[in-house]
Amino acid sequence: MMTFWQLVLANARDIGRDRMSLFWFLLFPVIFILLFGIIFSNEGTSTYDVGIVYDAGNPLGEGLAEGARAVPVFRTHVGGDRESEIQALRKGERSLVVEVPTPSFAARARSSGGSLKVQVYYNETEPTARQVLVPVVEQILNEAERRMTGRPRIFEVTAQPVKSADLRMIDFLLPGILAMALMQLGLFGAMRAVSLREQKVLKSLGATPLKRELLLVSEVVVRMTMALIQTVLIVAIGYAVFHVRILGSWLALLGVVLLGALTFVSMGYMIAAFPKTEEAGVGLVQVVQFPMMFLSGIFFPVEIMPAFMRPVVNAMPLSYLGDLLRQIMVAAPPQYSAVTDVGVLAAWAVACLIVAAKFWRWE
Amino acid sequence: MGPTDAVVVSGLRKTYGRTVAVDGLDLAVERGQVFGMLGPNGAGKTTTVEILVGLRTRDAGEAWVLGMDPARQGRELRSRIGVQLQVRGLYPRLTVRETVRLFSSFYKRTVPIDDIIEQVGLTAKARTMVRALSGGQVQRLGVALAMVNDADLVFLDEPTTGLDPQARRGLWDVIRGIRSRGKTVFLTTHYMDEAERLCDKVAVMDHGRIIAFGSPSDLISEHFQEQAIEFSNSVSADKEKLEKLPGVTRARFGENSATLYTRDVPATMSALMQLATGGGMHIDDVVVRRATLEDVFLKLTGRRIRE
Repeated sequence: MMTFWQLVLANARDIGRDRMSLFWFLLFPVIFILLFGIIFSNEGTSTYDVGIVYDAGNPLGEGLAEGARAVPVFRTHVGGDRESEIQALRKGERSLVVEVPTPSFAARARSSGGSLKVQVYYNETEPTARQVLVPVVEQILNEAERRMTGRPRIFEVTAQPVKSADLRMIDFLLPGILAMALMQLGLFGAMRAVSLREQKVLKSLGATPLKRELLLVSEVVVRMTMALIQTVLIVAIGYAVFHVRILGSWLALLGVVLLGALTFVSMGYMIAAFPKTEEAGVGLVQVVQFPMMFLSGIFFPVEIMPAFMRPVVNAMPLSYLGDLLRQIMVAAPPQYSAVTDVGVLAAWAVACLIVAAKFWRWE
Repeated sequence: MGPTDAVVVSGLRKTYGRTVAVDGLDLAVERGQVFGMLGPNGAGKTTTVEILVGLRTRDAGEAWVLGMDPARQGRELRSRIGVQLQVRGLYPRLTVRETVRLFSSFYKRTVPIDDIIEQVGLTAKARTMVRALSGGQVQRLGVALAMVNDADLVFLDEPTTGLDPQARRGLWDVIRGIRSRGKTVFLTTHYMDEAERLCDKVAVMDHGRIIAFGSPSDLISEHFQEQAIEFSNSVSADKEKLEKLPGVTRARFGENSATLYTRDVPATMSALMQLATGGGMHIDDVVVRRATLEDVFLKLTGRRIRE
């Protein structure tokens, strides 16, 4: 036990006194969070510019404008003509432009049995405009129409929030960054073993009665401790700076963090079995971690990736760790089921351990 | 070979591919001695040490270290010996003291940490990180680590390589200190003077074999009754004349130097001086010395040890 403690202490000291590894381990994820957090910080409270074109005195137009002003995320622009509003839409100054015809036409249209044509223009590069804004405008128009015609309300919808379902970009990102940090901790951490082998530290220790397995276990324990420190750091910054609250259970989070760290530590040791020098090892790790970082959907939803990429995404353990952490931390809708996530991560861990054990060299 | 021997080796053999590193080694090291394995780089010294401490497996032959077979009882053996490897890798960012404490945690029987650090003269550097140490300090730390378990047998693989003369002498004192406590030291070196001054017994190794074995003074007197006259000369010497000088039994010529082995130093010297003053041969840096292990190696192999 004394030996084990001394080994853990020696590892912790040797890592802790390495400024470069401290930067990657502590500062890098923090910088990532702050950077992404600031870039996407207005996403959650974004407003939509809605232009409404109607002739003065048009009751339907005024009703729509009044209804639109009542929607908090709408910034309503009235008084412009059709051409200038369309121009503003082209420049990206409007998300939506609604053109309401004058009432005389409306009356005539009604008498001829047809309905009133309200033209809506939207920015096609902004998918939310079509999917969300158009129905909202329809809703407001319906309400305005109901008031004008005096038709009674048949049903009323009341919305009651159950869970914070509105997922801001930072809510989506924070678990992803934690997943990334755990991956890098495991993969780059194992490069230390390559460096210890290259510098003959492993050989030196081999000339003592020390059991080498104990050495490995102590390394893994140090990594796990570092994983927990990272988790606390990332969660704390997420909460303090961006008010990201952990919705799931802390115990589940602890378990998933340890499982994820173990998976990537195993993967790291599998990679570390092959290269002779630390330099070669880091190159190899880059080849593995770089695609994973960008293709596993930890930074953006997998939905926006083309379909042919999906098998790649589905093969990567980071996809599952990111998904599982998102489910637990911010109650994001699952991409895979939690059971699948745990299963795939565990399978990767076991597979990597087997390969690592088979090809591992002490010198 | 008796049961009191610390190390007994017979017919030891190790090959790497086509290269024969150790080629049928027979050896017995008595307890309480400083034993030196002497030979040029690539002679098989390090391979032998690594086999004896159980880091490598042998291809053939037998080896007994403190009565144990290093191939089968490696861990038990390593708990009872001290080892300093030639290439000693240590955690770069641990201090001297932390490193000694880490290594002493691997053993049941240990010596107080500060005592060992003092013995190797690193007390002033106890709080310095390993990566900030000089080469000599790292070597001494390596010796300290081989001493943490108060082992009866200590292996030191080239402990003084790369050290300045003062640091080497310092380490010799440490090694003599180990012997004075009744322990056995098995060291390798390619320094002839080190083997001569430090070791009780020497095995001269070349190409994986032992070509001479005995105490340094026995080895020298066995091969040389002569003394050596060494000098340098800038003009190419008349080799035949030099070989025929009175008393000379053998002569060796380097590029700008010559060594005459003689049974009669005064006669050879006066003849040499005459040759120099009369014959127009220019000689410099004349040294008269007794033969050394270097001369023994030269005689046995025809090569200098560091060529």
